[in-house]
Amino acid sequence: MPTTPPQISPVEEQEKYLQDALGVVKAQAFHMKRALDKNKLMDALKNASAMLAELRTSLLSPKSYYELYMAITDELRHLELYLLDEFQKGRKVTDLYELVQYAGNIVPRLYLLITVGLVYIKTNSALRRDLLKDLVEMCRGVQHPLRGLFLRNYLLQCTRNVLPDSPDSDADNPEGTVRDSIDFVLMNFAEMNKLWVRMQHQGHSRERQHREREREELKILVGTNLVRLSQLESVTLEKYQKLVLPGILEQVVSCRDAIAQEYLMECIIQVFPDEFHIKTLNPFLKSCAELESGVNVKNIVISLMERLALFSQRSDALGNEGATILQQVQLFEVFSDQVASIIANRQYLPPEDMIALQVALVNLALKCYPDRIDYIDKVMLNSVEVFQRLGLEHLESNSLVAKELQKLLKIPLDNYNNLLTILKLKHYAGLMQHLDYAGRKSLSIYILNNALDNDTIVPTQEETEQALNLLSPLVNDKEEQPLGELDLEELAEEQCLLARFIHQLKSDVADDQYLILTAARKILGGGGPQRIKYTFPPILFQAYLLAYKYKEIKDEKWEKKCQKIFQFCHSAITTLVKAELAELPLRLFLQGALAIDQIGFENHETVAYEFMSQAFSLYEDEISDSKAQLAAITLIVGTLEQISCFSEENSDPLRTQCALAASKLLKKPDQCRGVATCSHLFWSGKSLASNREEAHDGKRVVECLKKGLRIAKQCMDVSVQVQLFVELLNHYIYFFEKGNDQVSVQVLNQVIGKIKEELPNLESSDETDQITKHFNNTLEHLRARLETPDADGVSYEGLEL
Amino acid sequence: MASRKKVLLKVIILGDSSVGKTSLMNQYVNRKFSNQYKATIGADFLTKEVTVDDRSVTMQIWDTAGQERFQSLGVAFYRGADCCVLVFDVTAPNTFKSLDSWRDEFLIQASPREPENFPFVLLGNKVDLEPRAISSKRAQQWCQMKNNIPYFETSAKEGLNVEQAFLAIAKNALAQQNSTVDLYNEFPDQIKLTNTNKPNSNGDSCAC
Repeated sequence: MPTTPPQISPVEEQEKYLQDALGVVKAQAFHMKRALDKNKLMDALKNASAMLAELRTSLLSPKSYYELYMAITDELRHLELYLLDEFQKGRKVTDLYELVQYAGNIVPRLYLLITVGLVYIKTNSALRRDLLKDLVEMCRGVQHPLRGLFLRNYLLQCTRNVLPDSPDSDADNPEGTVRDSIDFVLMNFAEMNKLWVRMQHQGHSRERQHREREREELKILVGTNLVRLSQLESVTLEKYQKLVLPGILEQVVSCRDAIAQEYLMECIIQVFPDEFHIKTLNPFLKSCAELESGVNVKNIVISLMERLALFSQRSDALGNEGATILQQVQLFEVFSDQVASIIANRQYLPPEDMIALQVALVNLALKCYPDRIDYIDKVMLNSVEVFQRLGLEHLESNSLVAKELQKLLKIPLDNYNNLLTILKLKHYAGLMQHLDYAGRKSLSIYILNNALDNDTIVPTQEETEQALNLLSPLVNDKEEQPLGELDLEELAEEQCLLARFIHQLKSDVADDQYLILTAARKILGGGGPQRIKYTFPPILFQAYLLAYKYKEIKDEKWEKKCQKIFQFCHSAITTLVKAELAELPLRLFLQGALAIDQIGFENHETVAYEFMSQAFSLYEDEISDSKAQLAAITLIVGTLEQISCFSEENSDPLRTQCALAASKLLKKPDQCRGVATCSHLFWSGKSLASNREEAHDGKRVVECLKKGLRIAKQCMDVSVQVQLFVELLNHYIYFFEKGNDQVSVQVLNQVIGKIKEELPNLESSDETDQITKHFNNTLEHLRARLETPDADGVSYEGLEL
Repeated sequence: MASRKKVLLKVIILGDSSVGKTSLMNQYVNRKFSNQYKATIGADFLTKEVTVDDRSVTMQIWDTAGQERFQSLGVAFYRGADCCVLVFDVTAPNTFKSLDSWRDEFLIQASPREPENFPFVLLGNKVDLEPRAISSKRAQQWCQMKNNIPYFETSAKEGLNVEQAFLAIAKNALAQQNSTVDLYNEFPDQIKLTNTNKPNSNGDSCAC
């Protein structure tokens, strides 16, 4: 039947048209119901027909038409109820089914026919099979897409409760069997789909977008047929395999309409149960490959995979037979093969879609077969092959395909939360190479954070090498790295992560740990001066720890091994020196010297001396800033004071060297403080000569302090001078209390007197307050000691406060 | 008035996807349950004859799609509802959080005459499952805040409380219809629409 193209009315007119139509419906419905109350059936039918005639309109959009349809069918239900009531009371209206066919227009006529037919079926089920057939055939009379779709939707709605749903063992039953229902719905489905597809080809081509939007809205009407099929209980798996699915797929494939195909495939996935899908994967996926080129097959396949992955999780939780079904079907293999064939055969599939399919495969494998790492690796390999075939390398970070690839690479990590499992994937690193530098770097940071958050311990040399190679964008410079200034702040942030990670490279077996550290040092050493200053310190501290460990276990060759470790450390620190660093290697040497002294392996004195002397030469050659110098000399003195392994021939030059270096500092206050610090070397410093006991060389202590006083007096700034005096006083008191007989009460009185003399001359300032406070506290201490002397302590007799 | 006449009640079931709307309806109407998950597309209804306070009532129960993408034509079927049933899954907190938006959406779209008095019933489904995420106290508090909505804890799987819940739904729906029936009676003679044969406004020559 030829139809005029639908007129498209503007939005504001839509509302008016709809309100007009609803007004008529309201009025006619009112009259209809009143007629029914008065038992005037013919009048009621006339009103119903007039009401239904509103559905003949061509002015309404699908949504408005739906609203009108809802309003009318709500009212029609009253007619149905009335008829049903009358029929049940036995008051049969003869020929009603024929009677309503006299309605003038086909749309109202068919709606009434369906309504009446339903009442017939409900009251006499023997008519069921024939009437259903008749109705679905008669609906062919309306070929206008919108009207036809809604009419058939009404048919589908009305027949919901009456579709025969008994197994088809007795084929002659006039009530019908599930077989009849399947035929009925499949036919209705095919007709509705044709109407829906036809909309695409009506009207002007410039209205295509508008038309497609309308089709999009109408799709649920077509999909409802599939819902109805899924609601039939007698549709067993067998019937689904043999009748239902082939029937639907044939219609879907043959309609050759992309919108319909995409929607209906999705619909099949959603409305039928998982148990059916699992058993029909092959026919379904094969049909996917036959769909029009405009169809987004990726979404369909992914949607199915996602659904089955969820099912797998649910059945794990419920422990029902779903899990067994999953075992029987090689879900992963089937999908993997189908994905491969889709990628190979579909011409216009963009690369990001290909990778998105792999993402879905990985999700499926992880959810259904959590133990099968080989599946994940297979997907990685497939993806590598895809890129190789397409010749894609260095994917630009913000491209769609790179984003999909990032997703693909992150999923196993998020799932296993174990870097070691990732290292087991042979093709992971290779796949990662297809990202560009920025992409690889951001993924590396992601991997690193994952390892840190999960405290993943890397226990072997091999895995250490693999892990650091995987993280290579952070470990060393790359040729393709963008030129220009290195962002130092960013670099520091990355390298700190890496440094934290190094503490997780550890084995319980000491020898393995050594191999791990040498491997890490070798790889990280390639990072250049900017990186090793972050990554070497943790390696060195790990190495020192390892040496302590050897001392503890004392295996056969532990002393040799320790020596080797310190050689290793020495060379690593020297590398830092070569990288033009000074303060850091100085501290590392000192830390090493402390460790060597405490571990005490064979020949340790020589090694410790070497470490100390290296620290000294760094101090002398490389550190020029005066503040840094003072800090360095303080550290050296502190370290030396702790070390007890030196014989006199080594310890004496070192101590003298310290005192000398301190007195050569540039600024007077620095000199003064340095020399005062050195004084402790001669008191609590230990050496072999003193039998590893404190040296207690009171004379040289006092020499140092005296020198300090002398230097302090040379300071021009009185405030600084007084401050230094107070500090020196404290040193004196310390030694006095420790029993240094070279320090007498007279000396204390002198210094106190000097301070008291100068202090009132200072201008009042925050600094002066501080000095005064320091001094008063010191006096407070002395006063306390004077009043309540320790029984075995030294006597402060004669002290003048 | 017409107590001889059958009453038709329209009930809408709303809630997030997979809270068990279809299962509840199937348990109530057909006394059947299946563990298989089938998504609902669009909306359609089942009917059930019940007797409430000696009145014969036909309940038209509308099952709806919880996923918005399956409602492409909009929700015109909300209109004319006599009761709205909100469902959540007691083991899924998100489905409870969505209740407010389902209720608001219903009131906007259905635009009942007195929104504040429109009858809702809340069902907390899947009480057979562990672990529970939403306590019955919390659900009841929500109901109190919404003008004392009746609350039932149900299991569509075990048929627990389903019958009682729907009876309450029917009673509330019936009460709603009786309260609006007076307004309805005033309607007739004020609007004169005698010309039932008025020419079709669409100007379409098509006979269908």
